[in-house]
Amino acid sequence: MKLEDFSILVIDENPDRAAIVERGLVESGYTRVSRIGTSYNLVERIQALAPDIIIIDLENPDRDTLEQMFQVSRVIARPIAMFVDQSDSNTIREAVEAGVSAYVVDGLRQDRIRPIVEMAISRFNAFDQLRRERDEAKAKLNDRKLIDRAKGLLMQEKGLSEDEAYNLLRKNAMKQNRKISEIAQSVITAFQLEF
Amino acid sequence: MSLKQVRLGFVPLVDCALPVVARAKGFAEEENIDLTLIREMSWAAIRDKLSYGVYDAAHLLAGIPLAARLGLGGMPSQRIAVPMALGRGGNAITVSTRLYQRMLEADPAAMHGPRGLSARALKKVIDEDRAAGRPIMSFATVFPYSSHNYELRYWMAAGGIDPDKDVNIGVIAPPRMFDSLRNGWVDGYCVGEPWNQRAVFHGDGVIVALKEDIWARSPEKVLGVREDWVQSNPDTVDALVRALVRSAEWADQPENRTELAQLLSGESHVGASFDILRASLLGRPVLKPGDNPIEAPDRHVFYRYTATFPWLSQGAWVGTQMQRWGQVDATVDFNTLISDIYRPDLYRRAVKGLDVALPHDDWRVEGVNDAADRAFVGPDAFLDNSIFDMRSFAGVGE
Repeated sequence: MKLEDFSILVIDENPDRAAIVERGLVESGYTRVSRIGTSYNLVERIQALAPDIIIIDLENPDRDTLEQMFQVSRVIARPIAMFVDQSDSNTIREAVEAGVSAYVVDGLRQDRIRPIVEMAISRFNAFDQLRRERDEAKAKLNDRKLIDRAKGLLMQEKGLSEDEAYNLLRKNAMKQNRKISEIAQSVITAFQLEF
Repeated sequence: MSLKQVRLGFVPLVDCALPVVARAKGFAEEENIDLTLIREMSWAAIRDKLSYGVYDAAHLLAGIPLAARLGLGGMPSQRIAVPMALGRGGNAITVSTRLYQRMLEADPAAMHGPRGLSARALKKVIDEDRAAGRPIMSFATVFPYSSHNYELRYWMAAGGIDPDKDVNIGVIAPPRMFDSLRNGWVDGYCVGEPWNQRAVFHGDGVIVALKEDIWARSPEKVLGVREDWVQSNPDTVDALVRALVRSAEWADQPENRTELAQLLSGESHVGASFDILRASLLGRPVLKPGDNPIEAPDRHVFYRYTATFPWLSQGAWVGTQMQRWGQVDATVDFNTLISDIYRPDLYRRAVKGLDVALPHDDWRVEGVNDAADRAFVGPDAFLDNSIFDMRSFAGVGE
């Protein structure tokens, strides 16, 4: 079986992550990649797609439904087993830690499947990294907004210059061992109370 | 002495109470355990994270350690030990209000008789559908190897229904059950609380049988730990079991149940409304929208009736149900296998020195409702009055 002959299905409630995994697989030469999100006719859709390999996020509640499907073999034509070969415990551990699980058609050779699962693991990890960075950037932006608003209030209500307002926030943050944004939030709250 | 870290995964259900209480009420800390609780939305996820060391311990369906040992579902065999049970009760069979009306019209006598036999009315509805050429109905349970699956099938079979032919039985994760019923994707389900009460409170479902109507002493969730973890951390296993047994004792007191409902209602725990959880925990569930609550004192049993003891005969019974429904080959000898998975020896070792009453044997003949030790083990009737003697089904000696 050539690479492009594998039919791979990516099931993920997070469409962004699913897209990243899909692109990784396509760029590696797998052409038959489909993806679906949460779906209440999951069984029918999987039957229609007849995938050789399913990549699904480990925590997806749909996995409980999938496992029932695989147990009742009459539901789908080919029995599917979970990708976990005892001899491959490192890959399994990495997969579990990255939040990836996979189900494959029984009988597919492990060495053909491993690169697919490893691709999914690396994409999941990359997605996590991206999400962490985005969350940090968002938090920073939010902090800056708070500080700007507190500065504005101090300038308007207390007649301070911009530098004086900022230095006041900073001095208090250092004295109380808190973040400047937290002090800014307190300032905003305090001014709101007065009105 | 530094605290020992223990990571425990759980699924949002009333019977995650013991680990939640152990952490919130300080029973874990008193045993020098720093207990971290992680909420999971699926049984497959919790099983995998326990198996591969992300968790040290888990709130598990009783059938999962058996299925894991046998390598079912395409999984390689995993050695998960069960040092204790996490209480009993809490499941129910709920049907849509529409199906309930049909059952009531088809067989009012069955619907007003014992709840354990209410499936006779469902059988009549199924016969009507068949005669009219309608598609078969769909029911859901929470996992292939769940007590819910075996209870739903037991109840149906007692009503003359073949659960493999007369209906579709699928699997939906517990927190999604309620939406599935509400949206008409399933006609009924068997799930743990609060997901039955929630359907009743919202007017979408009617409870037609409680777990205790099917088998009063039937086993429910267990504590699962990896066998290699048991071997390398014997003192921690003992301490964890002690903390959870003491939590069970606390959770069983009627005066603590309201506080327990409050604790469980938090988003990081069960995340259902306090009123729904309290109705269930006080043993006063509402079965039908608009009805008064019924008195069901054994709705949730955490400690009394040996509810934390890992009875070999209860584990073996789960094994017989796996065989009954073709999940496991009939040649598997669960009587031998079960004492390698259920570990009453660990339980006895852990609670030594605590004031915990222990049964003389690790197994008993199940289903004897008028046994001499009834006050100790609790009511024990099956809906069909059957008796389960684990010695008789694979020739295990006394």
